[in-house]
Parts: sequence; structure tokens; C-alpha cells
Amino acid sequence: MNVPAPRLTEKMALTLAASLLAAIVLLAPVAAAPASPASGSGQNGSASRNDRWLHVRVTNPGNNEETVRVNVPLELAEKVLPTINKNRLHSGKVRFDDVDCHGVDLRALVDAVRTSKDGEFVTVQSKDSDVRVAKQNGYLFVHVFEKNRPRKSQVEVKVPMKVVDALFSAGKDELDLVAALHALSTQGDTELVSVKDEGNTVRVWVDSKNVTD
Amino acid sequence: MILAKLALGFCGTVAVAGAYTFHEGVMRVDEDHYDGRHVHVWVPAAIVPMALHVVPSRRLEHALEHAGPWLPTLRELTKELKRYPEAEFVEVQDGHQHVHIRTHQGKLLIDVTEPGETVHVACPLAMMEDIARELEAKSPAV
Repeated sequence: MNVPAPRLTEKMALTLAASLLAAIVLLAPVAAAPASPASGSGQNGSASRNDRWLHVRVTNPGNNEETVRVNVPLELAEKVLPTINKNRLHSGKVRFDDVDCHGVDLRALVDAVRTSKDGEFVTVQSKDSDVRVAKQNGYLFVHVFEKNRPRKSQVEVKVPMKVVDALFSAGKDELDLVAALHALSTQGDTELVSVKDEGNTVRVWVDSKNVTD
Repeated sequence: MILAKLALGFCGTVAVAGAYTFHEGVMRVDEDHYDGRHVHVWVPAAIVPMALHVVPSRRLEHALEHAGPWLPTLRELTKELKRYPEAEFVEVQDGHQHVHIRTHQGKLLIDVTEPGETVHVACPLAMMEDIARELEAKSPAV
């Protein structure tokens, strides 16, 4: 095939330009797309494998149509909370005063619990309810069992003492939420709150999964 | 031959402009009401921060008065959310009402469904962060 040299150059230039354009059009979205995991359900590629997630789940055993699922990365909460300055929340800390605590010196109470040895601090057993507050193996436990309400209910709270310490590490009349979240992120998988009554089940826990089970 | 070159130049320009315009994805807002009203807005994410430059400053100042204190929160939130491009954050199901907030392929997706009304919003996180930065730069209060 005899093609004059100028035509050949023109055709080559045209082919090159078209190839470049095709490459730009095809590759630009791929290059700009964020790294995504192979499947949509697992851990993502950008977040660290050590990310800790706070989960809240509210379910109604009698009715599967009512559910609440909240999953929050602790690190995200740690970064975002200090930017919110509204009402009592400022710089990741929340202010409280005597009115909120009905005159109880919360800080002194926490100091007393912190410095004391493991054991049960409060045990109330009545015909209406059982209440137990205890410190054991570095955790503060609160257990409330209501017997005679229209609906029986059971509340269990398990908070690492390190988190309690961090929460009260701010100035007087302040709770340091960011410090508490940070302390929480250093803990292992922990079930923090469990509330069960005949109507609903509430669970709050921390683990390293970004989805609830 | 000149026509072919012109066509190639035009197509090339359109292709490059299109690739650039859509390289950050598309912001979508879809709203369907029971009374038949439908709102569907699809905007290339790359042009939204640019559009802020042409918004009348009087209107922008008015918006910033309300949004100003929340701009650092929005910026930090979007910056952090970019680390979680595939994640479920909130899902609330109450009978026929459903709220779902998640990230997928670098976009924040908010879906609200209730009888007679559905709202779907998809915002590229990179765009949201750009907007927060742009607005913060314009806001005297922040």
C-alpha cells in the first residue's frame, strides 16, 4: 500500500490524538475514583484496620420493622466533637453544674470510686427493683433490674475505669468527652450498655467492625 | 480534511472538558412527592465550589450568618468521612419510614423514605470538603 508521506504523518497524528483522548476519557474517572473495597460490606481500604467503632442498636423483638442502627468511628467522633461549640458543648467538653447533679459532688464521688479497691459499692434489693453498683477488674458496673413496672426491665452498664478517669480529667464541672472517646478507643471489644425490657432492646458497644451484626 | 480536524478538535475539547467536569462525580438530589411533584437535580461536583464564586455576596453572607459556626464541623466531618468510603452510619426503620445514611464510593448518601415521599441525596465527600473550605474562607466569623 503506497501512501504519501504527509498523509501517513497526518493519519498517525490523528490516531495518536484519538488514542490520547480515549485514554483520558476512559482513565480519568478511574483515576479520580476513591479506593474502594472489593465488596461493600467489609472494612474499607482507607480506614485503618485498628479503627474502633461505637455501635448503638435499638431493636424491638416483637416487631422487626422498628430498628435503629448507628455506627460511629471513634476517631471521627474525636476529631469532629471539638469543632462543635454550642450550648454546653465546647472544645470536646461538656459543662455541667450543681443543678444537674442535685448537689452531688460527682468529681469527689468518682475520686472515691477510683481510689477504692474492687468491690460492691451499692446493693439495693427491694420488691420493686434491684440495684447494684460495683467496681471489678478495672470496670465500673451498674446493674438495675426493675421488677414491678408494667414492663420488666433490665439495665446493665459496664464502663472501663480508664474511660471514667478520662471523662473527669477536664476542669471542674466539665466532662471531657474527647478524652473519654480516646480512652474508649484503646480498650478491647466492650459492651457498654445493655437495656432490655419487654418492648425494646438497646445495646451500645465498641468493636472494630464497621457494621452491626 | 479540515472539517475532520475541526470535528476532532471539538470532540477532543468536549471530551476533556467532560472528563474534567465529571472527574469528581455528580451531586444528586432526587425528591418524589405523593402529589406528583418530582425534583431531580444532578450537578457535576467539580463545578459546585466554582459556582460559589458567582453567588451574589449578599446572599452568601446571609447564608454564612447561619452556617458559619458549623463550617469547621462540616469540614472536619467530610475530611474524616473520606477515610470511610464504604460504611453504614445510620439506619432507622420505623414501619414504612426508613432513614439511611452511609458512604459509598466516596459519596455521602442520605435516603429518606416514607409513604408518599422519598428523598435521595448523593454528595461527593471531596466536593463537600471543598465547599466547607470555600465558605470558611469567605466567612469572617470562623
